[in-house]
This record gives sequence, structure tokens and C-alpha cells, in this order.
Amino acid sequence: MTWQTFVFLAVASAAFGYSGYRLAILVRLMKAQTGKGPAVDKIPERIQTAIVNVLGQKAVLSKKGAGLMHAIIFWGFLIITLGTLEQFVSTIYNQWNFEFIGEAAYGAFAFAQDVSTFLVLVAVLFAVFRRQVLRPVGLGQSHDANIVLTFTGSLMVAILLMNAFFILGHQPTYASSLVISNLISSAFAGLDLSQDTAANFSTFFKWIHMLIVLGFAVYIPSSKHLHVIAAGPNTFLRKLEREKGMKPINFEDETVTQYGAAKISDFSWKDNLDLYSCTECGRCQDLCPAFNTQKPLSPKMLIVDLKENLYRNKAALLAGKLDEVTPAIDINITEDVIWACTSCRACEIACPVFIEHTDKIYDIRRNLVMMESKFPAEVQAVFKNMETNASPWAFSPSDRAQWAEGLNVKTMAEDSSVDILLWVGCAGSYDDRNKKVLRSFVSLLKKAEIKFAILGTEEQCTGDAARRIGNEYLFQTLAKANVETLNRYNVKKVVTACPHCFNTIKNEYKDFGGNYEVFHHSQFLARLIQEGKLKPTKGPDQTITFHDSCYMGRWNNVYEQPRSVLGSLPGVNLVEMKKNHDQAMCCGAGGGRMWMEEHTGKRINDTRTEMALETNASVVAASCPFCITMLSDGMKTKEMQDKVKVVDIAELLDQATT
Amino acid sequence: MNIYVCVKQVPDTETKIKLAGDSSGIDTTGIKWIMSSYDELAVEEALRLKEKNAGSLVTVISAGPARVVDTIRTALAMGADNGIHIELPESADNNFAAKSLAGALKKEAKVDIVFFGKEALDDGTAQTAQLTGEYLGLPSATVILGIEYSATTLKCKREIEGGSYEMVEMPFPCIIAAQKGLNDPRYASLPNIMKAKKKEIKMLKAADVGASDADQKLRYKNFQLPPPKQAGKKISGDAPAQAKELVRLLHEEAKVI
Repeated sequence: MTWQTFVFLAVASAAFGYSGYRLAILVRLMKAQTGKGPAVDKIPERIQTAIVNVLGQKAVLSKKGAGLMHAIIFWGFLIITLGTLEQFVSTIYNQWNFEFIGEAAYGAFAFAQDVSTFLVLVAVLFAVFRRQVLRPVGLGQSHDANIVLTFTGSLMVAILLMNAFFILGHQPTYASSLVISNLISSAFAGLDLSQDTAANFSTFFKWIHMLIVLGFAVYIPSSKHLHVIAAGPNTFLRKLEREKGMKPINFEDETVTQYGAAKISDFSWKDNLDLYSCTECGRCQDLCPAFNTQKPLSPKMLIVDLKENLYRNKAALLAGKLDEVTPAIDINITEDVIWACTSCRACEIACPVFIEHTDKIYDIRRNLVMMESKFPAEVQAVFKNMETNASPWAFSPSDRAQWAEGLNVKTMAEDSSVDILLWVGCAGSYDDRNKKVLRSFVSLLKKAEIKFAILGTEEQCTGDAARRIGNEYLFQTLAKANVETLNRYNVKKVVTACPHCFNTIKNEYKDFGGNYEVFHHSQFLARLIQEGKLKPTKGPDQTITFHDSCYMGRWNNVYEQPRSVLGSLPGVNLVEMKKNHDQAMCCGAGGGRMWMEEHTGKRINDTRTEMALETNASVVAASCPFCITMLSDGMKTKEMQDKVKVVDIAELLDQATT
Repeated sequence: MNIYVCVKQVPDTETKIKLAGDSSGIDTTGIKWIMSSYDELAVEEALRLKEKNAGSLVTVISAGPARVVDTIRTALAMGADNGIHIELPESADNNFAAKSLAGALKKEAKVDIVFFGKEALDDGTAQTAQLTGEYLGLPSATVILGIEYSATTLKCKREIEGGSYEMVEMPFPCIIAAQKGLNDPRYASLPNIMKAKKKEIKMLKAADVGASDADQKLRYKNFQLPPPKQAGKKISGDAPAQAKELVRLLHEEAKVI
């Protein structure tokens, strides 16, 4: 025991004490939230995802360059932290070092420490280079990040200097294991320091290192670097399945008087953890179709701004004075920010710490729509159409089956002893362009001799758009009516050419008693081809590019089936757009945006159309009625509608088969 | 203020109208009923007036068969306070309705203003507001696009033929019939929809308001659907030939010139 013991214990207790106090406040803020968080189930799967994505850095590494940089810093720090621990204990009592593990093992430990320190230093220098020279848009300029990098870089330099002087001062047997420090020490050999002086220098740099670590501990809870503590738990608690339905609201529960999130306090503890986990890497923003077309929404800033709102309301939340908490819509998160989202989930797929951005947007929309009746004016007609005619478009429900006239398609009321129900959807029923898609799909079902029927005038809108816009009440009215009809006919299997209907019936109707095996027509057609029931023989002999629908791709992980349908067509040259699969850009119609005006910035559909045109394909294939509408409009804007056709995969396959 | 709004329930505009078997009226099975859109403007104006005058009450009245209660609920969900339903037969005409509405309004302690839509979306006769005013002996102004309220009078901007406007000044109490453009009707919030389910609707019979079948001035004999829309005709040839053919068609086939 020396003076160092007492100084260290005093400083470390103060630093960790303060840090713990700040972290405890963050936990109390989680407990203060009134929203319902997710259930924590499937522990083995959670442990697995935490190992793969935290220790294994899988999600982080999905981005080249910066991902590797982060992984090196992360893995390096895991090793360096062992060394830091040794410094702490040996400062408290100098006999307590880790040399008891044996000379060879300790040599390896020292080697790992030394190399890790060097690699982390290189990675930090790359990070500085990236932030200050490359300056990717997604990162932005962050004072916080500069402080963190300065801390981290100085830590590494201190360790290397500590070890270099230690070699000069103590000449340990394992000096050769400290390869980098040994090199540095040989550079200092010319200084001709006495052993005592060198040893003192080593102690000095050890203290520098330890004080930076303790300073870091104090700094972390109030900075974006909080992710080092929050991101692990957030990964463990993440939504495990890619497919997700929105949380239903129980309107029967009369104790619930607030629908959606009016204030930060209406969110759940898990939402707080999401906010704590964000380190502002900007991957979400890089992929966001709204941000990339100059809309006011950046998913990164949404999270940053919600966190700011949370901290601003800290006192009221901790005191339980929820009526004093300020609204979620504020100077940063305006209503325009909330309405800009297309619910494409590119942000969620990009996020390396599994933040769920879209749920927060839906929660705020729910409050705006149901509590305050605030939404873009053009949406009111859509709601009213859905209420009275069960379709977002103004058409008579009695005309719902008109698209099938002359096709000899049976309704369930006429014959319910079929293998599968064809769910037509509002676009297939009423939109002239999409009626053709449905007619092609029916033609294919007949060629493959599938026994199917439609609900005809008994079908209603699934309510997807109402739900994404925030009108959960209207959604549930439609959902319950549809589930009642489907269950009345004892429907087991459903096939639909609309990804929005697909997602809603498959992932959301189960909350209302509707459990069906649901297929998207891309899946169904791919299977019919595989089973030999459909044999494409006449090739379109064209270059085709495929546009991924968000609700099949990112929402339901279906990427390959539509491509396999296109690949089966003779003579097709399938080319990819620069953004494809889970990186694909939304057409701009999701999240109810189909029925909203686009006033700000460049149009999303035009931007996506440009990407399609860049491939020089003569056909753009899609598998969603809204994508087809948006991309066809884009082609018209570019005056390319006569040169490049936007078609559904079913139309191409129908032409290729006999 | 005691503010009243008279609303009519009409078939949704997308309804495919079918006639009843005996052509005595339309077949109402399967029809989705909505509040006539001009009446939505009336409800909205009433609610805005209430919001400007603390302590005001908005009462919605509808005369018609039992189904119209749903439309009264719609107005209550938008924010009206009370409802009155006067039960009239399906076939009741404007006069029967106006007499009943006036009768119900006479039973109220104090009426400051009554809003209507300028016409109903179904029959489009644009009579009920004025007739009600007549029965009540109140001034009325129809096709109103804008209103400036003062303590005892109100100035109304009224749309007239030829794209012009006239200004009408009236004292309270009075009758206003709303035209599209007066406001943008609100979408009912969910808490208000829930509250509307519990609000009381006073039920009255025609006899309670001094009206009877004798007030029916129109008797319908026979309904017919308009002839189905004919396909358009494309006139070809050079411009003088096209013009000549157009004149011939307008003269001989359409018989409009």
C-alpha cells in the first residue's frame, strides 16, 4: 500500500460513484415511462443474438470500412480492459498483478495487450480521418464524437508509453512480448534515462491512462458514447423476428384514455433503451428515402431529438409529474417529420444496435390522428372512403368484383370448397392498372389448375394504410370484419398479389383471431414453377430489373422468390439496381404516403425511377400495386413510359406460359 | 349560445342506386348511409361558433327513419353536445321535414342560430332550410361561404349566379345554409367518438312536434333510373369538316341547337 492506493481509491470511487448515479437516473427514466414495453421471452435466442451481434459484431460489420474499424476498437477494448483491470488492482496493491498465470501465459497476455492497443490506435486514427477528411453525410459533425476519439486515442498512446518506459525502467522478462512498446522503448534508449526515472515515467503514464479511463466513466452516461453500456442490452432485447405487426391497442379497455404517444412519457422503457443505444452512426439516415429526397425526416435525428426531449423532461418524469411533460411534437420533431416516413424500415435494417425507429413514428401518428385529428388534409377523404366503402379509393363496394367479369372466377359464397382464397385487395379491385395484374394472376392460377375463389363484395380493405397513418381504430374495424368473414368461410390459405395485404393478413390479423397460411403471389408462383405446374416457354428476351417492395423485402424477408420467377423466364437478363434487396429504396408509397401529397424536395418515386433507368433495363418488374403506380408515374415524369415498361412479375410470367 | 344544426342522412355518393321492385322509391338494402356533405359544413360551423363562445351548446336534429340516429352520432362525435331525432317515414318530403324540424325547434327554450347544409346530396332540392325559417318566422340566408359574427347580428357572404357574391346582414336568431368552401369539416377524434356513444339523443314522433302526413306535399308516383351513359363519339376529318359535323350532331341528334 502506498499513497497511490489511497489516491486511486478516492478518485475511482468518485468517478464510478458519479457514473453509477447518472446511470441510475437513466434506469429510473425507463421505469417512469407509461407505455407498454415488449415481453422478454426466448432467452436462448436472445443470448445467441447478443453473442453474434455484440461479441461477434455481425450487424456492425455489415458496413465495410467503418464496420471493421468499430469491430477492431470493440475487440481491442475487450482485451485492453483486462489490462486496465490489472492496472487498477496493482495500483491498489502492487503484488496484485496477473503474473500468477505463468510466464508463458502472461507473455501472451502482454502480447495481446500490446497489439490490441496498437490496432485500436490505428482504428481511432482512421476514425478521425473519416470524420475530419472523408466526412460522410450520415455522420455529421459531432463535438461529442471528437471528445470520445480524443479520449480513446490518448488512452492508447498512454498505454504504449507506459509500457515502453516500463521496459526501460523494469526490464521485465516478457519485454519481447510487448512488440510495439519494445520498439518505442528502443527509440527512447538514446535518452539515456536512469532506471528509476524511466520507472517513474511509466507510473506517470499509467496514471494518465487510468485517469482517462475514469474520466471516460464520468463522461459516458451523458454522451452518445452511452451506447457502450446500452447497445448490448438493446441487442439482447431486440425484436427477434424480421416480420412484425404493429402493437394493437385494446379499445375495450376503458382505463386507457391516451392512444399513441403525445409525450415522451407515453413511450415504453424499451424505447428509452433505443434512445440510449444510438451512437449517431448515421446508417439509418443514409438509407432513408425521405432524408435522401430532402424531406425533414432523418431517422437518426428523430432518435437524437427524442433523446433530447427525454432529457429535457427528466425532472418532471422523475417526479412523476406527467402532466408537466412537454409534447413529443416540438421544434425539432415537427408534424412534417412524422408524416414523411414511408414505413420502409430501411432505418431499422441498417441500425447496428437494433433501434426500432418506425414504431416511435407510428406511436406519434396514432396520437395525432386519433387524439388530435391532425393529419395531412388529403387523408380525410381516404379515411372516410375506408369507413363507408371499405376502400381507400371512392368506389362502390358493390363494384369490388367487377375486375373479374368474364373470367369465371367463383366467390366463396358460390363455392367455398377451394384450396386457396385469392385476396384481391383494393388496388386489384379498383385500380385500372392493377386489375390487369390480377387478371394475369388469375390466368396463371387457371393454367396451373389451382382451385381458388375470391370473397368478391365481401372483401374489405385490410386497413394497412389506416394503421400506418395512425388510425388504429379504423384499422381494427376493418380487420375484425375481414377476420370474421375469413373465419366464417373457414379459410386456411390465402394468396395475394399485394405486399401490404400480405403483411397485414399474415402478421397482424393474428392479433384479432385470424390465423392463416398466407402467400404472396411471388412465393406462390415460384413454387408453381418449381413444381412444374407452370412452364415458361416463350421468353421476353429482355433485360429486366427488379424493384423490391419494402413490405415483402424488409418487412417479410422475401427477396429471392420474385427473382426466381423472373429468372425462370427464357432469355431474361436480370440486372440489379445499385440499391437492391434489403438496401433497396422505397417507391415512396408505403406508410400511407400513397395517399398523401409530396410537397418537399425531390419526389421519392422519381429518385427510384432514376435508379431503375441507370440499369438500362427495358422492363422494370415489381410485385406490389403501389410500387407499380409510383414507378409508372416516375417513368411518365422522365418521359420514358414508352421505352421502359413497369410490370408485375405475374404479367411477365403469364405472357411466357401457355 | 344555443346553436342548432339540422342534418340529413343520405346514401354514400358511391352507391349504385337501384329501384325498389314497384318503382315507388329506391332500394335501400346494402346502402351505406352518410351525413350529407353540406351538412358536415353546417356542423363544423356550429362547432367553431361554440368554440368562440364559451358555454354554448350545439344540438343536432335529424328528421327521418330510425337509421338517421347514426348520422346524429356522427355529428355528436365531431363535437356536438345533444341530439334530437324526429322519426319520419322514409318517404317524407322537404315540407314534412321542415315542419317537423321547426316544430322541434319551437319546443326548445331558446334558439340563437340554426345551421343547415345548402342542399341534400340525394334529392338536391335545397328547400328545407328556407321552409324551416318560414315556419319559425326567422330570417334565413342560403349558399353561405363566410360568416362574420358580431354580438347581435351576422354578416354572411352568399354565393349567387355568375360567380358573384352578395353580403347579407341578419339579426340573431336566424337560419344559415352552408355552401362548400365555408370551412373544412373536422375528422372526429377517438375520445369524441367514444363520448358520442354515451350522449343522449332525444326521440320524438311527428305528432310530438305538430307535424303529420298531411304536411307531405309531394307524392311520388314512379321512379326511373337515368338512361345509361352512351359511349362518346369521336368526330374525324379536318377542322372545318369536324365543325360542320359537330353542328349537325348538336342540331339533329342532341337537339340542343
